[in-house]
Amino acid sequence: MACLHDHSCEDHDCSSDWSLYKHIDLDKVSALNEATTGTVKSVFKAWEHRLNTSGEHLESNEGDPELLVFIPFTSDVKIKSISIVGGADGTSPSKMRAFINRDGIDFSDAQSMQAIQEWDLAENMQGVLEYQTRYSKFQSVGNITLHFPDNFGGDTTKIHYIGLKGEATQLKRDVVATIVYELMPNPSDHKTRAETGGGFSHVE
Amino acid sequence: MVLEATMICIDNSEWMRNGDYSPSRFQAQADAVNLICGAKTQSNPENTVGVLIMAGKGVRVLVTPTSDLGKILACMHGLEVGGEMNLAAGIQVAQLALKHRQNKKQQQRIIVFAGSPVKHEKKMLEMIGRKLKKNSVALDIVNFGEDDEEKTEKLESLLAAVNNNDTSHIVHVPAGPNALSDVLISTPIFTGDGEGGSGFAAAAAAAAAGGVSGYDFGVDPNLDPELALALRVSMEEERARQEAAAKKAAEDTSKQGGEQQAGSQEASSQDATMTERASASTSEAENKTTDLMDDENALLQQALAMSMDEPAVGHDVKDTDMSEASVDDPELALALQLSVADSTKDQASQSEVLADQSAVSDILASLPGVDLNDPSIKDLLASMQNKSEPQKKNDDKSSNEEKK
Repeated sequence: MACLHDHSCEDHDCSSDWSLYKHIDLDKVSALNEATTGTVKSVFKAWEHRLNTSGEHLESNEGDPELLVFIPFTSDVKIKSISIVGGADGTSPSKMRAFINRDGIDFSDAQSMQAIQEWDLAENMQGVLEYQTRYSKFQSVGNITLHFPDNFGGDTTKIHYIGLKGEATQLKRDVVATIVYELMPNPSDHKTRAETGGGFSHVE
Repeated sequence: MVLEATMICIDNSEWMRNGDYSPSRFQAQADAVNLICGAKTQSNPENTVGVLIMAGKGVRVLVTPTSDLGKILACMHGLEVGGEMNLAAGIQVAQLALKHRQNKKQQQRIIVFAGSPVKHEKKMLEMIGRKLKKNSVALDIVNFGEDDEEKTEKLESLLAAVNNNDTSHIVHVPAGPNALSDVLISTPIFTGDGEGGSGFAAAAAAAAAGGVSGYDFGVDPNLDPELALALRVSMEEERARQEAAAKKAAEDTSKQGGEQQAGSQEASSQDATMTERASASTSEAENKTTDLMDDENALLQQALAMSMDEPAVGHDVKDTDMSEASVDDPELALALQLSVADSTKDQASQSEVLADQSAVSDILASLPGVDLNDPSIKDLLASMQNKSEPQKKNDDKSSNEEKK
């Protein structure tokens, strides 16, 4: 499901649309099967730099085109569409599968699990292709994992840019960290202030 | 301090009955495992360690990754030796156990003890290695026990397939007098990936290496702060005493225009003091001499006054300091005794103390690092003998006045 970017960019500012990269928690971004650890962070940049292939890019290991990219956000976001700029000579990824709000997915999980959405990608050297999402499913995304199982025949898979279009909400999807479960309530654990001879009552 | 989940794969095959590692290969392995568990949990309290066996009736997980050291040590107890090791299955089960770790933020690591021969094909091991690398699992291999070319080659190729940026290591431990755990302590398996290691590993390394550590005096201040402090204090006193003696000699000989001698005195005293300053230039020492002349004189006067045991001198002698020094340093006590025995007369006999060559040479002989045959020391002794008494008395009295 691809749609063409069928207007010239001088009319409106495309880069503001593709600004979800600002809400990515870059420190926690990770990738599996990347040749050099840490290069995955370089694919998240502004729209203007999407065709800039001179700097660092994400590359998979020799002879293995699979890539798995884990992208956490600093707040919940709604993702409207995704754009991928791959490498030349068959090193562009050919398929993309997305998983939402799942932590710690690895390749065996990715291969066996049902993705929330899958796309067939085309070689997007000009960076004009964007792939729309089923928006209703991408409403409150705390993190997204992108799995690229295959490429166009190259030895490795190269990705220069991953763009996300959508909106950021200010909400944070927080997992309740410390809960104490009680099988049987014990009154001594729940002393009220009056019992402890407490102080002044006050309204907060 | 890397947050890590580790699975240790133990080889409990028949080959582990061999006694070429003391007490037996299996025991040496168990000790090493205990040490690794301790090191990992100490370097980061949230680290988890799990254990599985590769031989016996089949690959079996004894403990899933946990931070509870007691559980791990308990499961090592009562293990039986037998069967054949299945390396490939062991690594794959370890990978599966790590996959289901509770804290997904932990890095994954597998430590394999490969004691018996490896019966898998090289290609298969490489495939396993690549799979580990793809899922960013690090692998440490301890190659001990059976030693053949093929095994080493296979394990090296496995490591090459897994290794991503030097996070994986292989250690070959030949049979010998050193225990397996001692050899492992100094390897990257214990010390982590170039972070400098945990305190546990460093301390254990210091203990094992028998004092060849980076600490002064070979004692870890963490392990024994009182001993380290006592050693340091005694060293300071020794240094002060030697500097006092050297400066006094320098002061005496400088009147004769013996700058050179003073320099050599400084040099010999520097050598005698076993400190890092041995590499400092003598000119720096001389500058220090002139700067600290007053302080040194004061110390010197106190030292001499104490040896004289003369209350009429009227200096503020710090009794406690000197008594401590004499307690700590039997050589100093001997020197004091000699000095006191030699001169029971009046104040002016300070010079006699110095002129008494036998006493001085005794004292100098007792100083560590001072060689009586050293020409500069011989010169000093000679000059002290030849020194005229009045000149010395003048020196002493003038420095007395300075002090007062």
